[in-house]
Amino acid sequence: MGGRWIWRVLALPGVVWLSLFFLVAFYAVLCVAFGNTNTLNELVPFWSPTQWNVGYVLDVLQNIWDGGQFLTVFLRTFAYVAIALAVALLIGYPVAYFTARHAGRWKGLLLLAIVLPFWINYLMRMLAWINLLSPDGWGTKVLHALSIDQLFIALGLLEGEGGWLEGQASTVVIALIYGYIPFLIIPLFVALDRIDQRQIEAARDLGGSPFSAFRRITLPLSMPGILAGVVLIALPMFGDYYTADLVSASTRTSMIGNQIDQLTRQGSEKVTGAVLTILLSLVLLLLMLYYLRYTRRASAEAGAT
Amino acid sequence: MRHPKDRSGVTRKQLLRGAAVAVGGAGAAAALAACQNTTTAIGACEDGTGEGTVAGGDGGGGGLASNLVVAKPAGPGGLPLPRADNSVEWAITEDNPMPPEGLKTEGGTLRFFNYPDYIDPGTLKKFGKQFDCKVAPGTYNSEDEAVAKLRSGQVPFDVLVFSATHIVDLMARQLLLPLNRAYLPNLEKNIWPQLQDPFYDRGSNYTVPYLTWQDGIGWRNDKIDADIGAMDVPWDIFWESEDWRGKVGLLDDKRDGLSMPMQRDAMRGGYVADLNTEDPELIAKAGSDLEELNDICNIKVTITQYQTLPEGKSWLNHAWSGDLLNAVIFYLEGTDTKPQDLSYWGPDSGGVVQNDFLCIPRTTDKPALAHAFLNFLLDEKNAYDNMINYVGYQPPQKNFDPDTLITSGLIPRTLEKAIIRPEQFAVNQEVLQLTVEGEREWDQAWSKFKAG
Repeated sequence: MGGRWIWRVLALPGVVWLSLFFLVAFYAVLCVAFGNTNTLNELVPFWSPTQWNVGYVLDVLQNIWDGGQFLTVFLRTFAYVAIALAVALLIGYPVAYFTARHAGRWKGLLLLAIVLPFWINYLMRMLAWINLLSPDGWGTKVLHALSIDQLFIALGLLEGEGGWLEGQASTVVIALIYGYIPFLIIPLFVALDRIDQRQIEAARDLGGSPFSAFRRITLPLSMPGILAGVVLIALPMFGDYYTADLVSASTRTSMIGNQIDQLTRQGSEKVTGAVLTILLSLVLLLLMLYYLRYTRRASAEAGAT
Repeated sequence: MRHPKDRSGVTRKQLLRGAAVAVGGAGAAAALAACQNTTTAIGACEDGTGEGTVAGGDGGGGGLASNLVVAKPAGPGGLPLPRADNSVEWAITEDNPMPPEGLKTEGGTLRFFNYPDYIDPGTLKKFGKQFDCKVAPGTYNSEDEAVAKLRSGQVPFDVLVFSATHIVDLMARQLLLPLNRAYLPNLEKNIWPQLQDPFYDRGSNYTVPYLTWQDGIGWRNDKIDADIGAMDVPWDIFWESEDWRGKVGLLDDKRDGLSMPMQRDAMRGGYVADLNTEDPELIAKAGSDLEELNDICNIKVTITQYQTLPEGKSWLNHAWSGDLLNAVIFYLEGTDTKPQDLSYWGPDSGGVVQNDFLCIPRTTDKPALAHAFLNFLLDEKNAYDNMINYVGYQPPQKNFDPDTLITSGLIPRTLEKAIIRPEQFAVNQEVLQLTVEGEREWDQAWSKFKAG
């Protein structure tokens, strides 16, 4: 009992910190989204929910319903994030799998190598990509030598040779994948590393093929890692705006984060920016709820066996 | 696209319910506005009434939310909006007098609030040496942000760079200290007469000019084989830019961006467009004209043309004149681009020609040093060095002969039009503060365009 008491005390500062800087901040954005502006074009948050002004929220919902620009950017953002997640999983899963199961004594070094580039600030890495992907950049040359640019052009994902920075959706998605993938690999690695080797051996002993052992043992057991990684990188991807700004800047690749940035940074539509922020949070909340439900069910099942 | 007022997606009942809640809300906002906006009207219109007219309350095409905002006065805080044909002298009030003459310049650190990369660090160093002080530059990314920070009072600054686009925001909050001309002999001595008594601040009670620029077109003449300056309507080039797809850019600023197709229409029709219009139809038309550029050239919206043009990442750009000069002065190094590969065109009249100004926040505790800094930047030599060694934007100096820039070979003939001449101010327009409601129209059109 004494042990539990000490943990409560130790957790208190963190809980207070999180509450203040998440709940209070979130409530403030909510009150701005349901607020108004005054004659000085300043935000006037309505602190009491009984006073909340739904005008701006209705306007945004109306815009989405009518197929306006907010629907466009929301759908585009979903598409980019979904593709980026899928490709990141395709790339990240084998890497995590190899590192966890076959890297042997190189395991630590390999993990370090995965994480190392990410000691450098995100923005710096994106700026580096701008130089790499410029028409005469090394990255462009390598991609050309490997005929990857031809493949992209054939698939309609690139408009012309060396045109990676010319406002291409594919470049934005690639940059998103590159920017966030280690945060997917690490939880995946942890999940895969934890799997008891004997369970897979048992599957093989009982006549399972390597593929069915993977499908019926490894994949389900690594599911919590997949979900944790996906949630971890999906959340920042949804709110990302600088990636699209830096590697594209085309209006055709602007994401919901770009609209929020545009509207809240200046001008008279800051309330609308707050409404979009709240809507995006709601979407992310649904994602989180699914994740929590899944992990709770998984741990309940684990407890039952 | 459906008209914004066509809101069949929401039932009438829902709307009524929303409106009921909103009315309560709007009342609260009005009360807040009343107690927050305690500034006295310090603006006085030319006609002497000193009162702003209240804009029509129909809310234009601004959607439901715009109808709920508290009544719109002429400008923020109910102050008049300066226009070339409606100049404003901002009164000096008793509670905020100008500093007396004869103060000794204070030592310590002068805090200078500016756009990024908009002053030569060498200029700051020289001032520090001359006045035995330090200059600490701080930067902001938008004038809105600067106003918010100044207003919070948590970031005290002594000198501020700003423009007439948001001057009423400063005045409505009484954020500025009146200037004492006794400290500013260089204003009368060196500055173009046109800008000594500007319509947005008659008598220069609160501001002195800093740098000038124009909105125009910058392009790589070694990549683009078109005599853009010789076209009937040079702005048309953006709508004929299929061949340079992905290498075409527009200024990432709602006012500059949307006023470009307005100027194009005006040039085609042989009239002068009001680039400070609040007509929802004109603004929406400009927005949909820009949207055409998405298909034509997959247009990029950036403010990095001073870098991307010399680097060859962009070939055709909507640009501020100073950016092209800045490109030649600062950004050619390390590229194969020659100065004469860059061209610039800007309209002779009917376009945007503007200046930024320097002013002193009211909260300064170094009024004499701040005045000295203003006067220092108005000095001929200092102003010239600041332009030539770093920023590329041109100071409105009387004795500054722009032709010497060309004859001395510093600036190629292809960029001749990027040089601003004083007489241009009379036949062009500045991008000026709008009513809150008017700005909303611009914001909405810009948001729509930028969503692609």
